[in-house]
Amino acid sequence: MVAIASWLPTELTQMSHQVDRLFYIMLGIIAFFFVLVEVLLITFLVRYRRSRLNAVGANVHGNNKLELLWTLVPAVVLVFMGVSCVKYVYAMQTPPAKPEVIQVTGHMWAWESQYPNGLKTRDDLRVPAGENVLFKITSTDVVHGFYIPAVRIQQDALPGRQTEFWMKADAADVGKVFDVPCDQYCGLQHSLMDAKMTVMTPADYERWKQSELAKQQQSSGQ
Amino acid sequence: MEAVLPVRASSKSWIRDWVLTVDHKKIGIMYGVTSIFFFLVSGLFALLVRTDLLVPSGLFSMQTYNEFFTMHATIMIFSVIIPLLTGAFGNYLVPLMIGARDMAFPRMNALSYWLYLASGIVLILSMFFGMPDAGWTAYPPYSIQSTGPGIDLWVMAIHIAGLSSILGAINFVVTIHKMRAPGMTYNRMPLFVWSMLVTAYMQIFGTPALAGAVTTLLADRHFGTVFYDATAGGDPMLYQHLFWFYSHPAVYIMILPAFGIISEVLPVFARKPIFGYHAIAYSSVAIGFLGFFVWAHHMFVAGMAMSAGIPFMISSLIIAVPTSVKIFNWLATLWRGAVEYTVPMMYASLGFIGSFIIGGFSGVIVAAVPLDMHLHDTYFVVAHIHYVLFGGSVMTIMAGLHYWFPKVTGRMFNERLGHVSFWFYFIGTQVTFFPMHLLGLAGMPRRYATYAPEFQFWNDVATIGSYILGIGTLIIVFNLFYSAKYGKKVGNNPWRARTLEWTVSSPPPAHNFSKLPVVTQNPYQAYTVEELEGTVG
Repeated sequence: MVAIASWLPTELTQMSHQVDRLFYIMLGIIAFFFVLVEVLLITFLVRYRRSRLNAVGANVHGNNKLELLWTLVPAVVLVFMGVSCVKYVYAMQTPPAKPEVIQVTGHMWAWESQYPNGLKTRDDLRVPAGENVLFKITSTDVVHGFYIPAVRIQQDALPGRQTEFWMKADAADVGKVFDVPCDQYCGLQHSLMDAKMTVMTPADYERWKQSELAKQQQSSGQ
Repeated sequence: MEAVLPVRASSKSWIRDWVLTVDHKKIGIMYGVTSIFFFLVSGLFALLVRTDLLVPSGLFSMQTYNEFFTMHATIMIFSVIIPLLTGAFGNYLVPLMIGARDMAFPRMNALSYWLYLASGIVLILSMFFGMPDAGWTAYPPYSIQSTGPGIDLWVMAIHIAGLSSILGAINFVVTIHKMRAPGMTYNRMPLFVWSMLVTAYMQIFGTPALAGAVTTLLADRHFGTVFYDATAGGDPMLYQHLFWFYSHPAVYIMILPAFGIISEVLPVFARKPIFGYHAIAYSSVAIGFLGFFVWAHHMFVAGMAMSAGIPFMISSLIIAVPTSVKIFNWLATLWRGAVEYTVPMMYASLGFIGSFIIGGFSGVIVAAVPLDMHLHDTYFVVAHIHYVLFGGSVMTIMAGLHYWFPKVTGRMFNERLGHVSFWFYFIGTQVTFFPMHLLGLAGMPRRYATYAPEFQFWNDVATIGSYILGIGTLIIVFNLFYSAKYGKKVGNNPWRARTLEWTVSSPPPAHNFSKLPVVTQNPYQAYTVEELEGTVG
């Protein structure tokens, strides 16, 4: 029996906890207005249906106070939503000092990652838990979308340009593996372009980088 | 001076009657029939796309899937929704509604139809020369690398459709400004005419940007230019800016006329004046203006600084204000009404308002930069756009087709079948598109020919929903085409509507008005019990 994915996936980072909280606040406000409109709609349709006793509608052309009310209330609510988003945008945009920089390059159809020690992997992304990681993202061919649903962030990978975002995985998720799909349409095998991201302890991560690099040098030296 | 109209004997020649016609009503009907044909073609592609997604590995090849979703979206936008709303409804109704005998430039009007038809044919032809597979957005560099003449024909189809669109829009602008009947001031115009005026200005202002985008694409493909080649100093993002500078306003081009139709249908069947005429009219103008300041909300993750998205987030949230003004005014129109559950009313009230607001609300979510970082390019966006374009535009098109059917044909459709089709549409819309929100939240990217097994359940639900919509569509098309020939004959104004098109015969005479009407008030006036006697309800 396969699980049915119906809602937000794991929150891997502190930022994703915060962004999800923002989502639930906005969803709550929206749900309130959604229910309001649907209830009014159905109530009016049923309550004011045409009958012998209710043969014609009232001669009402409008009401300026009501117009003012339903212009200003949505405006205030929407501006409130916009303003409460701004600080998250800057928090997501500003990378912390001295992060571990991983170069991510999109190819048709795989994600290549290059680590600070020169190690390169294909579709196998590893990050240390509890440490700041900065992805510097580009592409060698067409536009791809570097997307980590568990982190709630994506940036397009463009040829000739570099985009970036940062993350810090929670220590609680060590050992877990997450999907890193491409979500910007990139041709034939777009839907198969999916790297796996493993969260490791910092020590394991360092060891893995060294041993993997040694392995690669050995095999290329032969 | 009263113009003398030449009386022309009804010609038996089909070519003279239809192919050479410059009558806005016939051109409107031709737009309508042609775009319903393309609606069936494009709907078939949608059903094939959904069928492919029944199983995680996909039923067709990935190439086939990519071609199908490209054709579905391109045909639906350029050959169905825009021409149906502006070409069919706009052409047929605007001159009648403002009390004019035709459009300002009848021959140019015919030219826009024939260009539209040519564009649709070129688009269909492109399927046989290496079907385009770059998505309807055709982002470079992929669209430049993709080989075969399919995409070249696709570009050509967009060019021709754009030309048709601009010519049509110029015609509407001139017609509405210069051809209104005596006494038809701007503040007495039907709300559909208001919405068409704003739409036409948006088409004139936005379409050239699209032409620029696809022309440079073509040049990069064949003439060795490097507009979008990053290795030579070009920039793929430039295309996205140009493309969305047209294609976001295009969403309003596809929804504003729909808003106009809703504003005509609701007061007639609520048997009540429209609530807030000026607020509804001016909010269309506000949407048209603000619509050109939101385009980069499609590009929050496309390579601009995240904070550069903030102004576009704010403008996208602000544009929700005039939209919600409309929603509340429509609700207030129903308040203390005497609502008749006719087929067009079901589509317009429960169908349109009930579904469209979901698209409006999900739009607020994806407009928020921090949330869009997760939801961009996922099925959440697919859900959003389909609640706007299907729950909004197509639902309204169905309201409009049923509402003006007796005017165009002089006959009534089968009402029982009409109600059946409505419930297929309403339920089908929710079953198809609501689960896509859940898939998007869970992180399923769009334009995926294959997907992870945990996404199968909601994909299958959506596919079943799409079949419900397919059946509903067949019922509607059968009902309308059958009833056009065999339906019960009805009088000139079976709905007791107030706009000018209902004052003339059904179908209207060749030059609409033998004597130009004189207008003294807007068409949304109170009803009396006497004048509603004998109507349904």
